Amino acid sequence: MTTLGVGPADAASPVEPGERRRTTPARGTRTGSLPPLRGLLPLVVFLASWQLVASRLSPFFPPPSDWASALLDLSRSGVLLPAAFATVITFLLGLVAASVLGTVLGLAVGASARTDRALQPTLEYARAMPPAAVVPIATLLLGFTGTMKVVVVTSAAIWSILLNTRSGVRQLNPVMFEMARSLQLGRFERVRKVTFPALLPSIFLGVRVAAPVALVITLLVEILTQVDGVGALIAQSQRNYEFAQGYGLILVAGLFALLVNALVSMLQARVMRHRPPA
Amino acid sequence: MTVERSADVSSAALGTQPRSVACQCRNASVDLGSRAGPRRILGDINFDLHEGEFVAILGRSGSGKTTLLRVLGGLVDPTPESVVTFHGRPVAGPPQDVVFVFQNYAASLLPWRTVHNNVALGLEGKVPVAVKRARISESLATVGLEARAADYPWQLSGGMQQRVQLARSLAMRPRGLLMDEPFGSLDAMTKASLQDQLQQVHQHTGATIAFVTHDIDEAVFLSDRILVLDGSPATIAHEIPVELPRPRDQLATKELPEFLRLRRQVYDAIVETGD
Repeated sequence: MTTLGVGPADAASPVEPGERRRTTPARGTRTGSLPPLRGLLPLVVFLASWQLVASRLSPFFPPPSDWASALLDLSRSGVLLPAAFATVITFLLGLVAASVLGTVLGLAVGASARTDRALQPTLEYARAMPPAAVVPIATLLLGFTGTMKVVVVTSAAIWSILLNTRSGVRQLNPVMFEMARSLQLGRFERVRKVTFPALLPSIFLGVRVAAPVALVITLLVEILTQVDGVGALIAQSQRNYEFAQGYGLILVAGLFALLVNALVSMLQARVMRHRPPA
Repeated sequence: MTVERSADVSSAALGTQPRSVACQCRNASVDLGSRAGPRRILGDINFDLHEGEFVAILGRSGSGKTTLLRVLGGLVDPTPESVVTFHGRPVAGPPQDVVFVFQNYAASLLPWRTVHNNVALGLEGKVPVAVKRARISESLATVGLEARAADYPWQLSGGMQQRVQLARSLAMRPRGLLMDEPFGSLDAMTKASLQDQLQQVHQHTGATIAFVTHDIDEAVFLSDRILVLDGSPATIAHEIPVELPRPRDQLATKELPEFLRLRRQVYDAIVETGD
């Protein structure tokens, strides 16, 4: 669903070669990062045709208007909002934890070629571990709790951030640090003023990949463990043959994804607005 | 042996003015790790830089001239028996009051900072804000870039970026500048104009400058003394005083018989040591 929205924006962003050295920086990336809503047209068409074709009597494929009323009922009973809140909180905490830990670990691993080589197999192994397989162990250790959800989301979302930060560190030009030392910048100042800003593009590349992963895993954990959240509601409605409600919730989850993507793009454009056009 | 010669030559070059020693290099050797174990790059280097002197370090590529400059700048550690001091203090890490100017200006400027903020980098938190501002605009004016203070480095040409790096060094009010082929990747016109600017900076600030280059004309045009590195491990093979009148002019100075003679002498020194 998110990819539908991104398409037209990509087509709009390429800049003419001659336009590169403009005084107003990165005009293209700034506006190009927010996909226009018309990119959702295929989805709207799909839902509209479903509405036209579907029978209100069908138990498995109820029309979208039924989804809406089912969602309304859910909302009136006071279940929907707390669930959405739980999902958003889990997602955000997981993504933030993954970003902080991924950056710190990526820095540590990438800083020395020896550590990097030594840890490579372990990292590859851990990265390939499917999150669904982690869930039973996490519940065993942490119980059916919000903490467990955040830990699972973090453990799945951390990899793209960690690996991107690590390769970012390895690509930094040593001249940058020699310059900082020659200007008498202290160790902490060097990290804050040179290393970290230099790595921001790499970190953000990782976060962009990690954000949808974090959302998917949040819903997955909720579906598997039934601990709060929209995912738990989806699983429940499936079990209770409440298909209209189930479809409606899936649509809500999709809207989340869209929102998350837009948010990360905006943040990235803001962070990168003074960088040379790549 | 080199010590005595260097002392003789420098006093001759300086004429009557006795100048204090800014930088001392005694028995300096450098081993760098390679696949076959440590390899000696520099062996037993001896020389002094005098306060306010402009010394060019010349040599063919791979002769270790950049390594020598990095030793002075505290970016490479020499062997334990080496004695390297700047302003009387042994060099361990980049010395105070000395700034290194890199050939790779693009990598040495931070692309996310404006020209103004790049120049500010070494001053932040070290001098009061008003002093910082004054020094930044002063050093940007010195290199003629006041109008570009709000731009980002990647919006400037290569020559301008190198001037930003020079301005950033000058804002530190350094007593010493270590310049590693700073104009090596610039076109001839830009190079000439930056040489003129550097000459003015040298006159106004009185900073001690060590300048690595592989351009013979540049070395003769700018410096008071030329050190020619050669050998494996490299040592100072020749030391040539340059007594051309200052201020020097791109055309008039380069037409002087003395300039041509020096040019020939330096060229011969490099070719001869190569055989």
